[in-house]
Amino acid sequence: MLDSYLPIITLIVVALGFATGSIIFSRLVGQKKPSEVKLAPYECGMPPVGSARERFSVKFYIIAMLFIVFDIEVVFMYPWAVMFKRLGMFGFVEMGVFILILLVGYVYVWKKGALEWE
Amino acid sequence: MENLVQIALQNVNLAAIMPSLVLVCFGMGLLLINVFLPRGTTRPAVWISLVGIVVTAVVTVQGWGNPQYGFSDAVALDNFATFFNVTFLLAAALTILMSDDYLRREGYAVNEYYPLILFTTAGAMWMASGTDMMTIFLGLEVMSISLYVLAGFFRGQSASNEAGLKYFLLGAFSTGFLLYGMALIYGVTGSTRLTEIGAYLNSHSSLLANPMTLAGLVLLSIGFLFKLGAAPFHMWTPDVYQGAPTPVTAFMSAGPKAAAFAAFLRTLEYCFFGLKPEWSAMLWVLAVLTMTVGNVIAISQTNIKRMLAYSSISHAGYALVGLVAANEIGYSGVLFYMLAYTFMNIGAFAVLILVGKQGEENLTLEGFAGLGYKRPLLGVAMSVFLFALMGLPPTAGFAGKFYIFAGAVKAGYIWLAIIGVLNSAVSLYYYLRVMVYMYFRDPTEDYAWISLPVSVLATIILAVIGCLYLGILPNEVMAMAKTAIF
Amino acid sequence: MTAATTLPQFPWLSLLIGLPLAGALLCLLHRRSRQECRWLALATTLATLAICIGLFVACRHGDGPWLLREDAAWIPRFGIRYTLGLDGLSLLLTLLTAGLHVVAVLLAWPEQRRLPQFLALLLVLESGLMGVFLAVDLVLFYLFWEVMLLPMLFLIGIWGGENRRRAAVRFFLYTLAGSLAMLVAMIALYLLHGAQSGSYSFALADLLQTRLPLTQEYLLFGGFMLAFAIKAPLVPFHTWQPDALSEAPANGAVDVTGLLLKTGIYGMIRFAFPLFPNATRDALPLLAALALVGLFHAAWSAYRQDDVKRILAYSSISHLGLVLLGLAAWNTTAWQGSVLLMVTHGIVTGALFAVVAMLRSRTGTRNLNELGGLWGAAPQLSACFLFFALASLGLPGLANFAGEILVLLGTFRSQPLWALLALPGLVFTAAYLLRLVQGTLWGPAPAARAAIPDLTVREWLVLLPLIVLTVWLGLAPAPLLAPLAAVGGLP
Repeated sequence: MLDSYLPIITLIVVALGFATGSIIFSRLVGQKKPSEVKLAPYECGMPPVGSARERFSVKFYIIAMLFIVFDIEVVFMYPWAVMFKRLGMFGFVEMGVFILILLVGYVYVWKKGALEWE
Repeated sequence: MENLVQIALQNVNLAAIMPSLVLVCFGMGLLLINVFLPRGTTRPAVWISLVGIVVTAVVTVQGWGNPQYGFSDAVALDNFATFFNVTFLLAAALTILMSDDYLRREGYAVNEYYPLILFTTAGAMWMASGTDMMTIFLGLEVMSISLYVLAGFFRGQSASNEAGLKYFLLGAFSTGFLLYGMALIYGVTGSTRLTEIGAYLNSHSSLLANPMTLAGLVLLSIGFLFKLGAAPFHMWTPDVYQGAPTPVTAFMSAGPKAAAFAAFLRTLEYCFFGLKPEWSAMLWVLAVLTMTVGNVIAISQTNIKRMLAYSSISHAGYALVGLVAANEIGYSGVLFYMLAYTFMNIGAFAVLILVGKQGEENLTLEGFAGLGYKRPLLGVAMSVFLFALMGLPPTAGFAGKFYIFAGAVKAGYIWLAIIGVLNSAVSLYYYLRVMVYMYFRDPTEDYAWISLPVSVLATIILAVIGCLYLGILPNEVMAMAKTAIF
Repeated sequence: MTAATTLPQFPWLSLLIGLPLAGALLCLLHRRSRQECRWLALATTLATLAICIGLFVACRHGDGPWLLREDAAWIPRFGIRYTLGLDGLSLLLTLLTAGLHVVAVLLAWPEQRRLPQFLALLLVLESGLMGVFLAVDLVLFYLFWEVMLLPMLFLIGIWGGENRRRAAVRFFLYTLAGSLAMLVAMIALYLLHGAQSGSYSFALADLLQTRLPLTQEYLLFGGFMLAFAIKAPLVPFHTWQPDALSEAPANGAVDVTGLLLKTGIYGMIRFAFPLFPNATRDALPLLAALALVGLFHAAWSAYRQDDVKRILAYSSISHLGLVLLGLAAWNTTAWQGSVLLMVTHGIVTGALFAVVAMLRSRTGTRNLNELGGLWGAAPQLSACFLFFALASLGLPGLANFAGEILVLLGTFRSQPLWALLALPGLVFTAAYLLRLVQGTLWGPAPAARAAIPDLTVREWLVLLPLIVLTVWLGLAPAPLLAPLAAVGGLP
């Protein structure tokens, strides 16, 4: 039974070996000339200003949550679309019900004003 | 592939899920209607949700004696489910009746409350009729997530916030246990269908001693026991019950608790009948622990809401005795007890709501001093509920305890019954203390702030009727509970 | 069943239970008018008493095991039936209950606080007591057994003396703990009987057929006896009783409280002894020993008390020790004596409590040291007090004498040693009662006492029937003994 796990174990060993190997190798071989710019979290882009523990508006969270909810729905629709022909009327009605439930949520969210930024 | 679709189509039996379907539709409709109403208008929501519950009740009793199975036996609307469904619906209806004025008083007259109660109830109904681990899990999640929100419903109050967060975190944790247990059992038997698991374990009896099966059983049990609030998984109960809005507490300790019992009972009986001695022994210990912990800690409480929370732990312990008995009387005793407990517990909380004053500042024992004189009706009603909780005849509490302990004695667990009875004796003390304050102390207040809205009055009267009916003429319901088990 | 020929067909027994309950409801509905309530309660208790007397006259000579019986299905799921049965024993006790409740209502006449509720609770208590004495289905019996606790809890807790809260809670917890033990034993007996006979039933008649191994019988007997011993109260379990009796409201409830003690003895005779004959046989010496200890301990404690009501409370325990001794002697004479003593003690002690209540309402104290010299101030009251004290002491020619002498005679016949041991107990009884009488009626009157009015007409109305009864039962106890002849379960 354990034989069937052999490829997985091999993969894990190789992956771990590669990762640790590259880190150790670059540390041994690579040059180290640190400068302030190099030590910054992002070498390119905006220079970091102020504390990283800034408070975000709660609206971001709401948007994020709504995004996840509606995003996951789409995940469900992909396989459905692929199999659409074979599922036939049953699949159509099923998805209709699903969309309807989604719609209730959407209307609710809309009317509650969760989509408005202000 | 065509075959799969055909199978799926053949197994669709909407009648099997009709009750929860109706309830969910009402819940969603209510959500939609609510957003078009002006803020603070909650009366329509109350009425619509009550209508929804009544319609659902009518639909669900169609399943009595006329079992419906569907979705490849993942759902069963049998007598068992119907009995529990009625219990949940009663709990929901009584809760909704007493909620409106309370929410208004506390400044949270928010419409979402009612759909959430309906969703919780629907989840509970799924748990009771689930015959597949996935259905049970689905129901559990629907129920729990709505409850997390309800527990933290007073978002301006830190106690309520704490209740919601605590319940959520620990609930999520226990769900992990439950899922892990389900996964292990699936790994052993290759099925999530309860009957198939049972049949597989039965035909491969060597698997019964397999550590993986036992671990699965234990993890599953932990998940359910957490929802029951059984010791040692009860730590969340007092804080959550005390912090949550009072009607939610009342509801939580009646409906969802019964749902957990329903699913637990079905899982044990369908899947693990081969391991009956093992889980019976395990639950024996836990039942004793639960009863004792709940009662002993309740003695030292001075806040009545918290006292009732601890007492609710001990009542879960009494009901567990029925599971330990694992016979026909014990099982049907659990059904009967949960129904009886719904009446007495929700009734007691309804009185608490009225006496509590705004901000629930008047929930100490002293706050009840002389209540029986200033408010005779409330005093009498509270006495009935307390006597029922004590388990005195002629109330529902006595009939229920009698039923369960009879099951335990019949199964040969005389000591368990004796410990249960001793625990009842202990519980007398703290219930009686409330009565002592209500009647044997002179009133320090005139209780002028207590207004008695018709809806709360209706809750209390219904609960009193339920307590007395189940206590004096329990035969009808007892016979039903008997036919409700498998 | 001979009764059916002389009595019209009617659920008389249910009426005995239902009538006081209806009266209680009416009282609560008419709580605006105190006068109406008083008359309502009096009418109810009188009607109940009338029915009891009617039943006594009509069926005391019945020859079957039951003079009257009612039977209906109640909870078939568990073989529980609504079965009431009246035999000689329950006949006497219902009669006593009904009679004492009339007295109680009359005594409650001057009660000021929440009179309607008080009377209603009194009537509920009567209903519960009737149920206890009539039920012959175990669950039904248990139901009434518990129901009777609730009014008592409130009577003591609301209208009682200074320590009422403690007394009420203690009373409730003690007795309920005992009855829970009985509940478990009941269920176990039910299941054992069902396993034996195949038909599950809580009916006493069915359960009597059960044959058990001795160990099981011991355990179940213990469960039942714990409940009854706490109620009776047998000595190690008696500590709730002096508190409860001395704190019970003077106006009427206290003599009814005495009835609770009888339910304990009744439960032994009706249920514990017949159901578990072998365990009973083996337990008799222990019972006798406890009875003797109770007799002496309570008499001694009574002697040491200064509170008049506490003296009477201990005297109740002491008397019940004698009753129990008679039961333990296990022969017909002693049993008849025990039952007789139970009834007459109910009357005499009830009357004594009534007199003490009258005394208390006049002097404002129950302390023996603050009383005295009453004879000069209120001769009628004092005479009554003396009369009932002498009756309690067992003076020949008065009520208690017949019962006591029968108990002692019967005991002497089967267990001479026990009877000899019990005799000094009677001397003790004389000692504390004489101390009580002496301390109250004679001696110097407290200096600062206001003039004491003598008995009023209402009070005479209460006491006179009791005096007549006391004399009558002392001279001719035979009518009470007649119905006992056919009682089942007696040796």
